Amino acid sequence: MILAALLLMTQVAAQDPRLERLDPDTRTAVAAVVDSAHGAGLPVEPIIQRALEGATKGAPGARIVAAVRRLAVDLGTARVALGTSASAPELEAAVAALRAGAALEVLAHLRDLRRPPLTMALSVLADLVASGVPADSAAAAVLALAPKARDADLVEFRRAVERDIALGAPPGAATSVRLNAGALDVYGANSAANNPNSPRPRSRP
Amino acid sequence: MRTLALIGLVCGVSVQALCAQVTANVEAGITDVQYDGFLASGAASISPTMRWQHPGGRGFFSARGTYLQFQSGRRSIDGSANGSWITPLARHWRGELGAAAGASDYANIASFSHGQVDARLHLMDEDRGGWIAATMGRSSFGGGARPVTVVAVGMWLLGTDKTMFVSLDRSFIGDTAYTDLRSSARWRRDRIVLEGVVGARVWSSGGGRGVFGEGSATLTLGRQAALVVSAGRYATDVVSGSLAGRYVTAAVRLGRITVRTPATAVLSGNSRASESHSSPSATDARLEIETRRDDDVRLTVYAPGATVVEISGDFTDWRPVALSRSPTTADAWVASLRIPRGIHRINVRRDGGPWMAPGGTTRSADDYDGEVGVFILP
Repeated sequence: MILAALLLMTQVAAQDPRLERLDPDTRTAVAAVVDSAHGAGLPVEPIIQRALEGATKGAPGARIVAAVRRLAVDLGTARVALGTSASAPELEAAVAALRAGAALEVLAHLRDLRRPPLTMALSVLADLVASGVPADSAAAAVLALAPKARDADLVEFRRAVERDIALGAPPGAATSVRLNAGALDVYGANSAANNPNSPRPRSRP
Repeated sequence: MRTLALIGLVCGVSVQALCAQVTANVEAGITDVQYDGFLASGAASISPTMRWQHPGGRGFFSARGTYLQFQSGRRSIDGSANGSWITPLARHWRGELGAAAGASDYANIASFSHGQVDARLHLMDEDRGGWIAATMGRSSFGGGARPVTVVAVGMWLLGTDKTMFVSLDRSFIGDTAYTDLRSSARWRRDRIVLEGVVGARVWSSGGGRGVFGEGSATLTLGRQAALVVSAGRYATDVVSGSLAGRYVTAAVRLGRITVRTPATAVLSGNSRASESHSSPSATDARLEIETRRDDDVRLTVYAPGATVVEISGDFTDWRPVALSRSPTTADAWVASLRIPRGIHRINVRRDGGPWMAPGGTTRSADDYDGEVGVFILP
């Protein structure tokens, strides 16, 4: 009976026409992972997408199955950090952050500091680390910005760091500088017309 | 407080490198100026500027020179430099020790020089703060040097794209004394920066009095060029010897150059990230993302020499989508797709070759022995 129920669940998942791109054995294994995730209340779309990515890239079935299993586990870990109310995009972004090297405690701390959705903050964190910013520095930066920065602020922060890195700055330095850029603006504001950060217009005789 | 402690952590721990952020530029412009008590005059100016900033936010040094060639044939030249060392954040407090010096000469007739040191104590929060400061130094006009003492208090507010300052300072230069109340603001949006200052000089003895205000607009034309238009009236600066006047200036700023001091040995490697920002080569592809309304997103892939360009990502269910050649831009391939906000994965393929992570995205390892490009759609 249990077997029948499992088979039924597998068939339901396998009916997702996108999984038809997988070979039968892989499709069955992936469907099982999808059903298991669904039963655990985890989002299944990222898992399906990861399988489809493997199919497009011509990965062996075993690799695809391993990838989706790992992703399902990571989604579960992310939910532990973010709580059961976390949305699918938040969990997906959290997985990216965890895989990038962010600690579980950082995710939990972020949840405490910032109102949902946390998707952008987590995405920026993952992206910073993937850019080469040391994980602890990236986490510290995002946590520092998290309480008040809007999503757009976080994205702009990320872009500024990206620009600095592209111009040759070491990633950690770029993050630190950008985080402190606002604070640095206040220094010398009262004394230096030749300070490029001074609010006083410079282009005068 | 926790946030500030984290800022301190980032300042103090994350970067131990001897790396530096150096920007330099040259500003060339034309101006119409009328100094108080003089006739209006046209002038051409050139102003090189250099600024070094500690990557951990612990200080900066900047220097600037200005050469002015007046319509009358006379010329003015001045140079100045200032720098500060900033202490690590301690709870809400930071200290700053600074020094400044400068000299100017007008037509071999009038020359000024000054040097000063100052100390500041900053009270800081995430988006607001204030400071108290004291400055001491010397200012000389010709051969006579006069002591300089300035006390100041101010506050600031930071926003996403705007900054505002208010300050009150009392200056004593020899037997001259005056008080300036000044408020300045800066607003930035995309490529435009607007700056302005309004103020009043009061309780003045020998320093003039009245109101002043200046404004400038900077339009960034690229990484290394900007147009600057500024105008206004400013008060006499007795310390540096700049005479009160009103002006209109249009200038071109060139060469905002960041110079890298290599420090990769002490930080985690970032060759991939660096590569992702390099110019596309004949075997490379670079992605640009333009968000339009709703979830409509225009993707542009620059792939020099390619005859077919495809993308595949989580927003296409990983089905390859062939891009159309841009009718207007060489080597550019475009597609408009509906992509929801958030983090996305993408690969690009050119001429049926291997899937690769395009430049313009953050490259990361996929689960299939390859790379995937990751981008954020805000």
